[in-house]
Amino acid sequence: MSASILVVDRVTKRFTGHTAVDSLSLTVPAGVIYGLLGPNGAGKTTTIRMIMNIIVPDEGRVQLFGGGGTGRDHSVRIGYLPEERGLYPKMRVLDVLTFLGETKGVGRRQARGKANEWLERLGLGDWKLRKVSDLSKGMQQKVQFISTILHDPDLLILDEPFSGLDPVNSEIMRETVLDLRRRGKTILFSTHIMEQAEKLCDQLCIIAHGKLLVAGSLAEVQARHGGRHVTVAFDGDQGSAAQVFADRRLVANAQDFGQYAELELAAGADAQEILRALVGSGARLARFEMVAPSLNKIFVDLVGHEGARAEARPEPEAVRA
Amino acid sequence: MHKILAVIRREFIERVRTKMFWVSAILGPIFFGALIFLPVLLATRGGSKTIVVVDGTTTDFGTRVTTALGRGRTFRATRTPAGAGVVDSLTAEVGAKRLDGFLMLSDAVLQTGAAEYRASNVSSFTAIGELEGVLRQQAVTTRLEREGVDPIIVARAQIRINLDTKKISGGKTTGESAGQSFSLAYFMGIILYMAIILYGMNVMSSVLEEKTTRIVEVLVSSLRPFQLMVGKLIGVGAVSLFQFFIWGVSARLMISQRAKLGGMSGSEEMGQVFQVPTVTAATAAIFMAYFLGGFFLYSAMFATVGAISSNEQEARQAQTPVTLMLVVAFISMFAMLNDPGSTYSVVLSLIPFTSPIAMPVRWAAGSLPFSEVAVSLAVLLVSIVGVTWVASRIYRVGILMTGKRPNIREIVRWVRAA
Repeated sequence: MSASILVVDRVTKRFTGHTAVDSLSLTVPAGVIYGLLGPNGAGKTTTIRMIMNIIVPDEGRVQLFGGGGTGRDHSVRIGYLPEERGLYPKMRVLDVLTFLGETKGVGRRQARGKANEWLERLGLGDWKLRKVSDLSKGMQQKVQFISTILHDPDLLILDEPFSGLDPVNSEIMRETVLDLRRRGKTILFSTHIMEQAEKLCDQLCIIAHGKLLVAGSLAEVQARHGGRHVTVAFDGDQGSAAQVFADRRLVANAQDFGQYAELELAAGADAQEILRALVGSGARLARFEMVAPSLNKIFVDLVGHEGARAEARPEPEAVRA
Repeated sequence: MHKILAVIRREFIERVRTKMFWVSAILGPIFFGALIFLPVLLATRGGSKTIVVVDGTTTDFGTRVTTALGRGRTFRATRTPAGAGVVDSLTAEVGAKRLDGFLMLSDAVLQTGAAEYRASNVSSFTAIGELEGVLRQQAVTTRLEREGVDPIIVARAQIRINLDTKKISGGKTTGESAGQSFSLAYFMGIILYMAIILYGMNVMSSVLEEKTTRIVEVLVSSLRPFQLMVGKLIGVGAVSLFQFFIWGVSARLMISQRAKLGGMSGSEEMGQVFQVPTVTAATAAIFMAYFLGGFFLYSAMFATVGAISSNEQEARQAQTPVTLMLVVAFISMFAMLNDPGSTYSVVLSLIPFTSPIAMPVRWAAGSLPFSEVAVSLAVLLVSIVGVTWVASRIYRVGILMTGKRPNIREIVRWVRAA
């Protein structure tokens, strides 16, 4: 497990009235983009807050960087962007960034230098001596994002990073996340928008009601949950394809439309075997495609429509330490 | 440690940078200067009264009194023989504000001591006092002369009594008068009360700002809430010390230049009338010790109030019980000045929530045994530790809460929670 940057081990957090996180275990390997997916109220923010040691788990433990120490002890290596964001409105932009860098354990001068660098890079160089309240919302989002990555963290923890971002900042966020991954950093982010996760994540997990439903790489998750469909289109001659479709060792169910067919694989069957069998049957194939279900479909199948519905967030409870 | 330092520096620099800080740094001394100089100025200015002595005596007593009054500073007196209609016309003059008043003398003064003064203002202690003094002196002199005592001996027997009061402090007589003790204690009480409330509120709004802007979640991901709170207290405390330093320096300047300032205001005797109370090193140390003690005690509570509130209005309501404790000490100030040794005063100066005002006031008003100060300080110190501990536990949970303000039961549960 030495390659795991973050291990959440059977963590449970109860608030008066309900269990927000229920014996949840996660393992985030180094150098990946890891998606923490779940409907609203699933326990994503509570989990992240426990990882950051903002609240303490009732049971279980969180291990960071393969050793001891809490999120605060490692704050110089972690960039954290909470779901609820804010800056000091009356402070100058550069001072806010320097201060936030310092609270993470970066030296004052270094923090200032990095802040300057990033402000220039994101086109806010002229604004660094202005008050935060003078900035537009989009610019404030950039400043917030700079404060998260200013100290060049090894692990980035982003809670709903794309929520509320304008398209420009959304793009900057996406590019920076990818760039950090290329440089070997690890990113954990939570979201309830499956399309984003599908495009970005190397690994992911889906939680609901505080419980883990599935975890693994996108391909693994898709393979394990309904990723067992094949569509076949013929180029004229079907040969004896019907015999292959009828082979229950390979195909659990087939819908044959003549020139086109949809197959559901039998348990334990390999799509490649069907392809070989079809080619062997003398059929001319125009298309043979393994259809991966969208993450959204898997999510809805797993969580259920009820679970996917936005649950009212029990907010005062969610932060009770 | 580096992290706490960053919090302290932020609190200090951001506060000292504000206009508010410099406005109060400059206006503070002007305000206190005005408080000190204005009454003196008014007292010396308003002193000169134009009166008429209505002389109904058959001797030269009326002339003597008129001359004696003219030697003082308070009155400009002219003599008029008593006659029909004089009183009525003088009353009209007073009514028309051309005259301050008139003194009616008859031979009865030398027999029974009865005289009459009619004026638009008869409440000025200094004026009435001087009038009585002059009358008594002239009456005694005249009666002695009438008994055949040599006027030269009478003149020699005259002596002006000037009662000087000195305070005994720590077994040593100080150069401090009763009036100076009183005003020192009074000013210290006012400044302590205002400064503790003012800077406590500063801490509260700082906590509230971090909470309402949600920046607190980022902060507590890298700082322990306790570090954040303590850094805030020390940072704001440092601002208050800086403010006091500026005030202290300007007060020094003002006091050393008071003769010139008095001269500018046209009253050459003001420098003499207003005597600066001597602030000993011990008094200054007591003041600072109790200010810092009171500041930390109350600011920890104000920080908690900020943490459990979601907006300014809520915080204003929730801070009332905290402020009330200090108000009790403040309004008890006169009782304590009157009798610094009373049981009530002693109790107030031992209770940590009132001692930051009570003890310095009692110390300045009358000397206290050092042991009493030591016990009071020890109680205060222990309370600061206790209150900060409880406050930090409420703070820790409160700063992340939004929505409804917690009730007492919930707060108690937070304190108990591990």
